[in-house]
Amino acid sequence: MLLGAARMEEKRAAVVARERERDQFPVGMRVLAVDDDPVCLKVLETLLRRCQYHVTTTNQAITALKLLRENRDMFDLVISDVHMPDMDGFKLLELVGLEMDLPVIMLSVNGETKSVMKGITHGACDYLLKPVRIEELRNIWQHVVRRKFSKHERSDLDVYKDFNKPLSADPCHGHNQVAGGASEPGGRISRKRKEMHSDEEDEGEENDFQEGDEPSAAKKPRVVWSIELHQKFVAAVNQLGIDKAVPKRILELMNVEKLTRENVASHLQKYRLYLKRLSVEASRQASIVAAFGGRDPSFLHMGAFEGLQSYQPFAPCAALPSFNPHGLLSRSTAATFGVPELSPAMTIQTATNNGVISHCAGDANKFQLAGLQENQQANLGQGSAASLGLTQLQQKWIHQETNDLTDVFSGSALANTLSGALQRSISSPLPPQELLDNTQAEVSLQQSITLPSVSSELIERTLGVSANLQDSSISQQGALPINDGFTNDKLQLHDPFDSTSGTKFSVSMPVCPSASLTASSNTKSCVSSCSTVLLAPDTGSRSNCLQFGVAGDSRHGMDGMKQDHLHQGLSSGSFNHNFGACMPEQTNANVSYIVPQMKTNTMESEDKLKQKNIYDLGIPKLHGGFNSNTCNFDGLLNSMIKAEKDDFSFSENDLGCDFFSLGACI
Amino acid sequence: MRNLRLSSHSRRAALGDRGRRAHPDEVVAVGGYLDEQFCQVEDLQDDASPNFTEEVVTLFFKDSARLISNIEQALEKYPKDFSRWDAYMQQLKGSCSSIGASRMKSECMSFRDCCGQGNPEGCMRSFQKVKREHGALRQKLEAYFQLVRQAGPAGAATRPV
Repeated sequence: MLLGAARMEEKRAAVVARERERDQFPVGMRVLAVDDDPVCLKVLETLLRRCQYHVTTTNQAITALKLLRENRDMFDLVISDVHMPDMDGFKLLELVGLEMDLPVIMLSVNGETKSVMKGITHGACDYLLKPVRIEELRNIWQHVVRRKFSKHERSDLDVYKDFNKPLSADPCHGHNQVAGGASEPGGRISRKRKEMHSDEEDEGEENDFQEGDEPSAAKKPRVVWSIELHQKFVAAVNQLGIDKAVPKRILELMNVEKLTRENVASHLQKYRLYLKRLSVEASRQASIVAAFGGRDPSFLHMGAFEGLQSYQPFAPCAALPSFNPHGLLSRSTAATFGVPELSPAMTIQTATNNGVISHCAGDANKFQLAGLQENQQANLGQGSAASLGLTQLQQKWIHQETNDLTDVFSGSALANTLSGALQRSISSPLPPQELLDNTQAEVSLQQSITLPSVSSELIERTLGVSANLQDSSISQQGALPINDGFTNDKLQLHDPFDSTSGTKFSVSMPVCPSASLTASSNTKSCVSSCSTVLLAPDTGSRSNCLQFGVAGDSRHGMDGMKQDHLHQGLSSGSFNHNFGACMPEQTNANVSYIVPQMKTNTMESEDKLKQKNIYDLGIPKLHGGFNSNTCNFDGLLNSMIKAEKDDFSFSENDLGCDFFSLGACI
Repeated sequence: MRNLRLSSHSRRAALGDRGRRAHPDEVVAVGGYLDEQFCQVEDLQDDASPNFTEEVVTLFFKDSARLISNIEQALEKYPKDFSRWDAYMQQLKGSCSSIGASRMKSECMSFRDCCGQGNPEGCMRSFQKVKREHGALRQKLEAYFQLVRQAGPAGAATRPV
């Protein structure tokens, strides 16, 4: 009887407007229940129905997220199990809190203190132990009410504002949202706040505060960080520089009505944490991708973003996963599609990541570096030897990159110089600047780039190079297959040499030494080809081992003169040496020339090389690998010379190779 | 068994297996194997979902069989991978607790303890016990539901709100 009546109510509630539903609250409260255990889910569902709630169930966290994202107003409350196979419950919790600002209740068989603590720090409203009793469920509507109530109330109370200010002012401070391990002060503050307001963890507190700044209304609109809004935000942050980005300035730059400084502050905090998390993730992804040859965009796509599974929340990173999925993901997706030839996902994502991550604080760099190394190793494993891993260079580069990144993002000339192809590919709805820059780089970088910072850097530089390389598209294949990419027209080693290209040696050192060498050499001539051959710089720090990305056509934008250099360098067999060991002098010089060559001219020799070093991310191993290829290199060189000059269309191919090698290097 | 579900209290008594006018078979059938949670599950049964309990129990046995088989495979394929074993067993424990299978649940917990101690032999032994309890519970509940079915609609009529 009761259940039947409840059901009728639910149906009625479902068809009426939300206002009416609210009037009947808590009856008809819309709950989303997530649990992979079918028995538990069934029992839970029935219990909830018995409480007269409107229940939707799913046994997959991913489905739950999808449902929530499709319509944020579809649910009032989420109940989720902690241990789920497709996604960690805590992660889901974070995401929901970030993206939808809904109260989330955790369920678990495990009642250990640390587990409960984790739930709290991730922002759960409540933590229930299985088996759940109906009495407990009868009260869960409190969390919904409390949250709404708080939003209204807090704005009016000075004391809350006091709390709010310090927290907002320092976005890096731990907030109650910060994941376990967050800074102590933040945790304390948030705890205090909680005590003041309620006993529950309110992951939406930040938003509550912010929303409180707006005039109280019966129903306060949540600040929904849509993709557009987030993009604006990111653009503003990038413009200011992640380290210098303060909410006030960001707010000014964004120039969005009705957005308060507090909104921005809390969003910034989440964003920072997200970036941190991303960089770690990207590193891991990079290595994974590298291992897979970065062939499959969807893989990266999923893995890096959508999946979220692999995400390991950083201690300090509260949860910016939502940014990732929405902002980055869409960005990367777009970018990905924009660059068909390349292993889009990878590159793009990397780029995207780059953009984002590069903005991260040093941690990100570290991660990136680590990731790069991982990546490179993976690539190495595959045989690519392009990047002579100059770890130091990489690091240096990475540090530089952080600084440079803003420039990049602000749209360096690279972007302009990139060939049409590249640009085309890059065209993506993503935050234009950074993405463009990144993607371009990406393109050339292709897979290996998984490392965000690297890729962006690479891209940048490569762009200079790649731009010339028409064949940048070569990058597509995974690290390994570069050979294929190269051997084709793309590797017009010969041409590049002759032509102005010379810029990049896209010595895509494909995985297979011999093959790659050939390819590389071809690309080399292309130099401009995407692959930026990172030549071990004799210049020292810059190691510029040109990564042979792909033998793009060097012709592109390369000055004849430069090319000659390159050519000479190359043909003189320095390549061999160099490749083996990062072509020191010549290549360096050449490279530097080349690099700048690229129409972009953005990079000026040293710097460019340095930047190229990113490619160097290649680990020393690569270097070694490279060496082994030297002999091949000769052959490659020869073939390069013989090869017909190719049109470096920066297009894809070259870049593809490039990237490949780069990837490998990386 | 409708007529046995006179009230939560009585049912609990039945499950606790004494002192109430329960069919002896029924008492034996579930005595000690199920706890309060099972009562809750039964409570959810009503006219709108008249076979709810049995549905849940059926679902439980289906899912638990799968989980047990996973554990079995894991024990074999991943020797000493305690964290994996523990994760699987935690799933099973969750299921058990959802229907109130108390004896089986406590065997699950002791398995997890052995995992925590890094004791593979202990895990094996414990796992055997889990399987035994699983089998025993299945039998008991099958018997229980037979009794319930035999009791027929008369039981429902006497069920207090």
